[in-house]
Amino acid sequence: MIESGFDRRDFLKVLGWGGAAVALTGCGNTSVQDGKETVVSYVEASDYMIPGVSVYFNSTCTQCEASCNINGRVREGRVLKLEGNAASAINRGKLCGLGQAGVQHHYNPDRVREPLLRKGTSGETITWEAALKLINEKLTGVSGDQIAFLSGSVSGHLKVLLGNYMDSLSSKNHFVYEAISPAVQRAANKKSYGVEMPKFSLNKAKVILSFGADFLGSWVSPVHFSQQYAQFRKGVEGKRGVLVQVESKMTLTGANADRWLAVRPGTEGVLALGLVNALGAAGTALSADVAAAVKDFDKARVTKDTGVSGEHLDKLVALLKERTPSLVLSGNGAEGYAHGSQNAAAINLLNHVLGNVGKTIEAPAVVPFPQMLSANGNSASLKKLNDGMAAGNYKVLFTYAANPVFTAPASMKLADSLNKVGFKVAFAHYMDETAMAADLVLPLDSALEDWGTHIAEYQPEGGQISIQQPLMEKLHANTRGAGDILLALIKQRRAEEYKAFEDYYAYLRTAVLQNKAALGGGAAEDDTFWDETLTSGIVKVAGATTALSGSTAVTAPVAAASDAQYPLFLIPGITANLRDGRHANQPWLQESPDPLTTIVWDSWVEIHPKKAAELGIVEGDMVEVTSKSGSVKAQAYLFPGIHPDAISIPLGRGQSWGRYAKGNGVNPFQILDAVFDKETGELAINETRVQIKKTSKRVIVIKDEGSAGGKQFGRKIAVSVSSNEVDLSKEV
Amino acid sequence: MSVTNLLENWSQFRHFHPVDDKPHDPYKWAMSIDLDTCTGCNACSVACFAENNIPVVGKDKFEHGQQMHWMRIERYWDEDVSNPGGRDFPDQGAQFLPMMCQQCEAAPCETVCPVAATNHTPDGLNSQIYNRCIGSRYCSANCPFKVRYFNWYDYPTDDSVWPAEMNQQLNPDVSVRSKGVMEKCTFCVQRISAAKVTAKNEGRLVHEGEIQTACQQACPTNAITFGNLVDTESRVHKQWEAQRVEIDKDKQEKDEEKGGTDLRGYRILEELRAYPSVMYLERVRESAV
Amino acid sequence: MKDIREDIAWAKINQDVLKSLENPRKLYWVILFAALSIFSVGVGCEIYQYNVGMGVENVNNPHVWGLYIATFIFWIGMSHSGTLLSAILHLMHADWRKPIYRFAEAMTTFSLMTAGLFVMVHIGRLWQFYYSLPYPNERGIWPNFQSPLLWDAMAIFTYLSSSILFLYVGMIPDLAIARDNIHAGWRKKLYTALSLGWEGTDRQWRNFRVTYLTIACFLIPLAVSVHSIVAGDFAMSQQPGWHVTSFPPYFVAGALYSGCAAIITLFIILRYVFRFEEYMTLPILKKTVRLTFAIAMVWTYLNAVEFASVWYSHDQASKDVLIQKATGPFAPFWWGMIFCGSVVPFVLSIKRFQTNIPVLFAVSLLLNLGMWLERWMIVAPTFSHGYYPWTWDHYQWPSIYAWGMVFASFGWFTLLFMIFCKVFPSVSMYEVKEMVYHRKLHAAKGGNNSQGAH
Ligand SMILES: Nc1nc2c(c(=O)[nH]1)N[C@H]1C(S)=C(S)[C@@H](COP(=O)(O)OP(=O)(O)OC[C@H]3O[C@@H](n4cnc5c(=O)[nH]c(N)nc54)[C@H](O)[C@@H]3O)O[C@H]1N2
Ligand code: SF4
Ligand code: SF4
Ligand code: SF4
Ligand code: SF4
Ligand code: SF4
Repeated sequence: MIESGFDRRDFLKVLGWGGAAVALTGCGNTSVQDGKETVVSYVEASDYMIPGVSVYFNSTCTQCEASCNINGRVREGRVLKLEGNAASAINRGKLCGLGQAGVQHHYNPDRVREPLLRKGTSGETITWEAALKLINEKLTGVSGDQIAFLSGSVSGHLKVLLGNYMDSLSSKNHFVYEAISPAVQRAANKKSYGVEMPKFSLNKAKVILSFGADFLGSWVSPVHFSQQYAQFRKGVEGKRGVLVQVESKMTLTGANADRWLAVRPGTEGVLALGLVNALGAAGTALSADVAAAVKDFDKARVTKDTGVSGEHLDKLVALLKERTPSLVLSGNGAEGYAHGSQNAAAINLLNHVLGNVGKTIEAPAVVPFPQMLSANGNSASLKKLNDGMAAGNYKVLFTYAANPVFTAPASMKLADSLNKVGFKVAFAHYMDETAMAADLVLPLDSALEDWGTHIAEYQPEGGQISIQQPLMEKLHANTRGAGDILLALIKQRRAEEYKAFEDYYAYLRTAVLQNKAALGGGAAEDDTFWDETLTSGIVKVAGATTALSGSTAVTAPVAAASDAQYPLFLIPGITANLRDGRHANQPWLQESPDPLTTIVWDSWVEIHPKKAAELGIVEGDMVEVTSKSGSVKAQAYLFPGIHPDAISIPLGRGQSWGRYAKGNGVNPFQILDAVFDKETGELAINETRVQIKKTSKRVIVIKDEGSAGGKQFGRKIAVSVSSNEVDLSKEV
Repeated sequence: MSVTNLLENWSQFRHFHPVDDKPHDPYKWAMSIDLDTCTGCNACSVACFAENNIPVVGKDKFEHGQQMHWMRIERYWDEDVSNPGGRDFPDQGAQFLPMMCQQCEAAPCETVCPVAATNHTPDGLNSQIYNRCIGSRYCSANCPFKVRYFNWYDYPTDDSVWPAEMNQQLNPDVSVRSKGVMEKCTFCVQRISAAKVTAKNEGRLVHEGEIQTACQQACPTNAITFGNLVDTESRVHKQWEAQRVEIDKDKQEKDEEKGGTDLRGYRILEELRAYPSVMYLERVRESAV
Repeated sequence: MKDIREDIAWAKINQDVLKSLENPRKLYWVILFAALSIFSVGVGCEIYQYNVGMGVENVNNPHVWGLYIATFIFWIGMSHSGTLLSAILHLMHADWRKPIYRFAEAMTTFSLMTAGLFVMVHIGRLWQFYYSLPYPNERGIWPNFQSPLLWDAMAIFTYLSSSILFLYVGMIPDLAIARDNIHAGWRKKLYTALSLGWEGTDRQWRNFRVTYLTIACFLIPLAVSVHSIVAGDFAMSQQPGWHVTSFPPYFVAGALYSGCAAIITLFIILRYVFRFEEYMTLPILKKTVRLTFAIAMVWTYLNAVEFASVWYSHDQASKDVLIQKATGPFAPFWWGMIFCGSVVPFVLSIKRFQTNIPVLFAVSLLLNLGMWLERWMIVAPTFSHGYYPWTWDHYQWPSIYAWGMVFASFGWFTLLFMIFCKVFPSVSMYEVKEMVYHRKLHAAKGGNNSQGAH
């Protein structure tokens, strides 16, 4: 048993099981002996390292927040390839391109290898001891309110340690930031369904009506949804699922829709309310409140506001009435406006009206360890931090898994705010923009060298804790895991409580074994259970389910007035490969063509051919896109999948670092206006208005699509058939 | 060294399939790709890079059309979209098509290679022998699908492709190709060989599900099915059979009957009689919306 | 007008021709040096390409073949002129060929040697080129006898060796003359060795005639087959725009065409540089020009046949390639080919231009340009617009290295030719003498045709 010094409740808190709603049996029999356990070396010969024979280790993908379970192929001590863990309820053996590029994150030649201390404008290598000592010094005499920690979404034991560390500093300033997140939706869902992230059963729906939710590309848990999508296409009761996508800029999901409805930017909510109205008119029962709320949204108005034709509306209503259950989704396309929350509420209302709640919108399983549950990032938190920094509130700032200098709009003036922070510590994989602005850079282990536990925000079936374990020995001697760094830091404050843990691994092992029974370990030996846990890479727990409860209240979404000087909407593209740009230095992702434009290695401005003709723009023209907050120049690409009132530039390019990222394209985050969602305070990423000007320069657009421009000239290469001509239920 | 030697070897390396006196037995590797579930996500293409040591050529070389992706995802718009008089928007979405070597049974690339560096295996693969290739590029010139990729540069020695550390990711089961040789999708032959060796050691045949190609394995929507067409238990066999697609025909039942046949299996450019080993299933679009 | 003056003394013929072997004029050195410089540009390009990779040609997928192949066909075509003049016209007893066939025959050899270089610089692994030869080996690995490229390699090799043999055999009597007229130095040794003890005896002449005729007979089908096989590289493929049955005759006609055009060019240059006005006479030029015009019309006809058969076939892909040629980004080159190949030759049909040297010089260059464009228009458009629309690439443009090598090939050819002209008699002395002798005798005998000339 762990020695005295702190009591059992503290211990549970330390280990992250605090508040667990399960019986903690068997915790008296820990095998941890003063943290002496060491990790077996992965390169020293051992029986699973037979030259020429591959071995596979299960771990967790950290390339995005979906926390898919991976199965890494290791040979001669080197990880070669990542595949999906078939036992995972999230990804069932599958992996997206971004996830596979995890090996290029690990082997990346531009990784930071040593702790670096700022010396004027350059960095100087220092030792870990010196770095940690320096942090301790800088924290001494600084009150908790003056310390802030900015991280991306975190869950599992890292979140626990981080929380405990902040606690030890008496700081409550943990800001969880994601530049791109479903934050508006969480809030809307909370209101509509009583939970932030319900379970969306795509595979049970006969119709999916998605308002800008790119669930096949970058939304929430794309690999999981892609599999469900495949089942949905094969059909429920032999009837192939129908996908209708409503958005102003075609996403990958939109490209797969049976009907893609180009909606005037920001009017998704109007369309949703119009549909409710039309459904009511078609006989669907509406409550009095709802009927009152939608009564103004008649067909004429909806058609006028949204640009969606009456014919399409009628067909859609008929389809939704005829085929139930359906599933209506709201995503970034609809939510990135100042009235984003209103849009989301209106869209969610459709699920209530169509009776989908409880059928395709289900109560999620909740992993019964609240302390470990994911702290989900949003952009409102960055604004809060920024305001605080600008006011000079912070003396010390830690950053981890976030690159706000790159992702914050220039209009937020984050760089100026950062200058007011006395000492900035960046936990970093690369010398990205934020690391460059830091005073001290702590080099991190790659995700394939580190230990961890993750609980995905989106839990598909039951609950599961994903285990992250090193797939190989560290590539660089002087990098450290985030958990190890936090452990070292917390030991500076609470040495006594944490002295039992030599490293984060020991901490994690102890933590898991403490809850062996609750985690399904039964009476197994500790070592056996631990080995089994690492072997499977997944701990499935009986997830408690909360009932759905929700309101149908909506307020009519009001779009911002148009702006004569900046007539176009800038809808930043969120692509599956690049997202917010943190993985842009992985060459597979740079060279993997954007699915819709097939452009590689560069940014582009999507513009509708009609609009382009109006402005005299042809493919490859360098155009200057100017908003109130700045301007960028990029090549024009004529793209029919965008509303003529909008243009789109993909996010994630335009870095100033990394041999594969630097110099490729522009960063549209920079020119976003500081407009926020009225209810949640999230940055309204689609709300920026721009004007577009042709420059005298023209370039060759580097893309996979050839001179034929995606036409087949009747050669029957990619063939389509109408659903009434085939019967999928007869197929193998 | 004699004429006999020449003649013997000659008959050895020219396998024509399918022929009646030499049916595929016991293996014939084939695929089917469901375009209705393929979402165009590119996961397969990245997986192929990871599995097969494909070089990332970089921006400049991509600009010159020298990219190497053995698996490319093509994106098509309907013909009338944004044409004068056509629809303004692609309101039935786009269409994606994963395209890689179709492992033709009567491969146009094979007959023209002057050194027989690309030829047919008894289990129906179009194989590529890098060591033998002199880089004439005739094979690519004659491939109707243009899925052969030439090493225009020496990528293994190019520091931007596999710099230190990055090179540790290379798959030791797959050779790294030097400049001047042709390459293309192999149906992940290294995985096939490994499974065949295992099966042989165990005195059995490779069974269904034992081999997954890297693209198939990654594909989040299971759009790709791979297997042994000879094995009646295999999914690929069942799919081909259900769609009435026969490998040695250039016209299938579906083409012969007008109107709805409930069949959506087809092979691309079938009329050229290359007899591809990849069957595609047509994308479906809902008629009610 | 007679083809050449009939009263040139035999001694003068020897003297004039042998003079071309001596004391190079300054102009000769200028040309030689220029040729060398031009050639070295190509050597530089090739060294760079060899080290870096084929990518420097700016070829890509789908344009896997580029300028090298186009230029290869061009030079192979060029080589047909020699065979036409020396073998075909020999068999047809067209005497006017006699003063000019030697250099044409040399042209054949050197164009083949130039063409061969393009095969070499084209292949990705030059250092393994011998894999394409059926050499005996322990592993029992043979090349692929099904591949037209292999037939190509063999046909060209056979053609080259036969052409060298033909050139050499035809030169033996002249080499003996040179031997007998030169008294010391390396030339004496060279000519002595090469003339194989030629004494001009009856028996030697008899054997010589038979040998020469035999090789000529052998060479003609070979020449036809070589360019048919080169055509086969395309026609045997399955690609739209290439899979055309009329390609072999079309290629042969094109070859003869470009060969004739090149003969006119070289005729004019040699006539001027070596002062061969006496032998390379205007009447001979006129005959060559008329022959060229005839071939131009054959070529034009075959072109029309090809277009028509594509147009009226049901092969949409081929038709698309044709339309693309005429209207796409390659259109200026394609129409340039039509103009140079089918319109410009009408100048040759106008009598007063048939002996106008400046006009003929310009026209012959245009015809050659047209013929080069023809080859390029065979190769590139099909790649840019094949069966598979996704891979269409209408905007491929060769790199300066590729152009550098094409440019350099002219230097290489000139270099070989200039050296040849200084080492070997580029006008056949014994045959010119036959012409002179023949006619004098004829006159003396009072126009009795039944008497043999010998
Ligand atoms: N894991 C494993 N171990 C094995 C075997 C196996 O298959 N697997 N095989 C076993 C067998 S069969 C054998 S024979 C042994 C071989 O074991 P070693 O004899 O250790 O063989 P090598 O690894 O070839 O190392 C010989 C060393 O000699 C150096 N060397 C090369 N030429 C010369 C020279 O001219 N002079 C000098 N002084 N040094 C030179 C080489 O650089 C190298 O460092 O290994 C045995 N051990
Ligand atoms: S969806 Fe996210 S977690 Fe899953 S494989 Fe892709 S990048 Fe990794
Ligand atoms: S697809 Fe092309 S490369 Fe593959 S076998 Fe067929 S012809 Fe050959
Ligand atoms: S490139 Fe290689 S494989 Fe292709 S035809 Fe030439 S030698 Fe054969
Ligand atoms: S079968 Fe293998 S080699 Fe072919 S595309 Fe798929 S992953 Fe690549
Ligand atoms: S991974 Fe699957 S769904 Fe994605 S592009 Fe490839 S085949 Fe299509």
